[in-house]
Formats: sequence, structure tokens, C-alpha cells
Amino acid sequence: MILDEAEAVLDPVAGIEGFVLGCLVDASTGMILAARKDRDDISLPTAAAGAADIANVLSLLAGELPTDGLEDVMVTFRSQLYVIRLVREDLEPQILLLVILDRARANLAMARREIRNFCAKFAA
Amino acid sequence: MSQTPRLRRARQLTASVLPVRGSDGYGNLVAARLHKIEAASGTGMLPFSGGGDGAIYFRDGKVVYAESRRTPGPAADACTAYADDLPPLGRITAIRAVTEPIVDAVLELLSAQARHAKFRSARLAATGLTSGIRIDPLLTEVGRRQRLLRQLSAVVTPDTALARNPHLRSESIRITAWQWALLIRVRHGLTPRDLAWDLGRSVFGTTTEIYRLIALRLLSAAGHPARADGNPPGEIPGPGPANMSFVRAVPVKKGGIMPLVNAGTAAGDTS
Repeated sequence: MILDEAEAVLDPVAGIEGFVLGCLVDASTGMILAARKDRDDISLPTAAAGAADIANVLSLLAGELPTDGLEDVMVTFRSQLYVIRLVREDLEPQILLLVILDRARANLAMARREIRNFCAKFAA
Repeated sequence: MSQTPRLRRARQLTASVLPVRGSDGYGNLVAARLHKIEAASGTGMLPFSGGGDGAIYFRDGKVVYAESRRTPGPAADACTAYADDLPPLGRITAIRAVTEPIVDAVLELLSAQARHAKFRSARLAATGLTSGIRIDPLLTEVGRRQRLLRQLSAVVTPDTALARNPHLRSESIRITAWQWALLIRVRHGLTPRDLAWDLGRSVFGTTTEIYRLIALRLLSAAGHPARADGNPPGEIPGPGPANMSFVRAVPVKKGGIMPLVNAGTAAGDTS
């Protein structure tokens, strides 16, 4: 993470049930802009880089297929859920929000809704 | 009186002005210099000369600004001094608007293995960061970018001459607004660095976006024209562009800091 002062913007996301890690990533450069995490056993740089890679692959896919633009991505691991969302579609360069949740404690539908609301307020 | 302390002092002074330009010593030497300034809570500037003239500015040991002759600086109105008054997205955008050119300039200075002179007091730029960046995260980010540029160097570097695919059909192009802005500006022979200056964006960010446009076959390196529809029937597919992977650019050691990569292999500086 580059700057500590950006961390506070992620406070609302940290309140989601099952929250493990949240970060904002510059989709173009892969740079982490802000981050919060509740556990030390997850590598923040790797998680953020993975989110940027996934978004990159999907943007290449969107360039080749008649999709209507990326909204969010959900990845389910055995013990964790990854939700990746574009903070705002028309923002350039794009900013991604990655939220990692503990699968045993999180409700994916609720979490997705809270993340969507956060992005809407965040970008307002 | 023994000559040893005097010799050691002379060696220290020489090292601070004329860094050893060994293949793996430069990164460590600069990192040590930056850490020393941080530990001393130094305020002032560390000038660089040679491969990319510029300077890194410190306030209380943190980097608040950096400039290089080969990278665009922040916009004149970019300032995070009032970032706390902004809504969250505005705050992040304001911080990024200043941070990105700083990291871009430091990347250029360290990748070019520019010689650094003595740290000295200086008037700090008005467009710098209010709180500053610590050295470890900054060097980690620079190292990550160097590894990413090394991945891309087989396809594109900041100084690769570009050409637009002559077979483009605008109705079939689905790209972001920034990519479109780059695409329409490409004239034969322009480089990602030229486009970065033209748009006032970071050289690193522009290079990664140019890579994506090459992967979409909308651009190519000059002299290697992109095909309109891939390989003709019967032709063995050639190697595609090297994959860009942010994950592969993350430091190998968990939580560790990778040494800076050599200029020749990292930045792909062909000038």
C-alpha cells in the first residue's frame, strides 16, 4: 500500500459480515490505492494483483465479445469468497474494489448488495 | 593518527556521490541511501543525473514529490492538500493524481541507474503529497513495476515505436475511453512515452494500456504489423504477445522487498 491516509475510505466495507480483506486497485497499473485487512495470513499484494489480472483478462474478453461491460466478478474458493467490482464504470483509469470474505461467515448475496451500495455511495 | 577512519570517511563520501554501477549493486545502494534519509527524517531533495535527470523530494523522511526529465509530472492543479474535504472517490482520485507521477518518476530514475548527488535542502514543490510515501512501500511498488515492464519487454517497452493496425473497423472495437484516446493519437513511430507526454499520463500506465491494445491487435510495434484476422488458414500460429501478469510481478518472498531490477532488462530502454 502506498499511502496510509487512503485507508479510511474502506471503513464501510470492513463492516461486512465475514470481511477478511478489502482494497482498491488501479486496474491499469495494478497499484494498490487503499487497503484494509483483518488477517495477516493473506498476502495483500498477491490478492490485489490477482484481482487486477482477472479484470484484465475479462476486459480482453469484453473487447472480443458483445458483452455489455463488466459489473462484478465473484470467485469462490473452498474457504473464501472474492468479490471484484468496478467502482465506477465511466472512471478512467478504472479503479477496482476487491473484497475477500470468509465463506463460513459471509452471506454472498448480502455481501454483494453491500458492496454494490458501497460503490454507489463511494462514487457519488 | 591512523589513516583508517579518514579512508573510511572518504569512501563513504565517494559512495554517496558516485554510486557503484555494478549489475546488482545499484538498487541496493540507492535503497540504502533512501532509507538513510528516511531514518534521519530528512527534508530536502536528492538530485539524480545521467540516465534520467530528476530529483526525489523528502519531507521528514518521507517522499512527497519526485520528478524526472523523461516522465510527465502531475497536473498543475493536482494536490492532495485538500483531499480530506473531498468525497471518498474524489479523495482517492486526488491521491492517485499525485502519487502516480511520483512513482513513475522514481521508477524512471532508478531504472535508468541515474547517479545521485548529495542530499540537500530545497524548496518543496507545491504539488507534492501532504503526508508522503514511506520508502519501503515505494521501493516495493517500483520493483513490482520493473518486473512488469520486464514481462512486457518482449512485446513493448516505453520507447517502442508503434503502428496502428490498418485494418481497424471502428464498429467492432470495444475498449475503454483511455484506450480510445491512446488509439486515435497513435501515428507511425510514436512511442508509449510520447503518448504519455501527449496525454499527461504516467509512462508506466500508458505502456500497460498500449500492451493491452497490442494484445487486442489494434496496435503493433512498428515493423511488426498486426494481422486483421489472426493467422491465415494453413499457417502455423506464431507466438502471441507475452502474457502480462500482475501476480507474477509480486515479490516472491511473502512480505519481502525484491531488489531493484537492472535498467537494461527492466525498463527496456532502447534510447
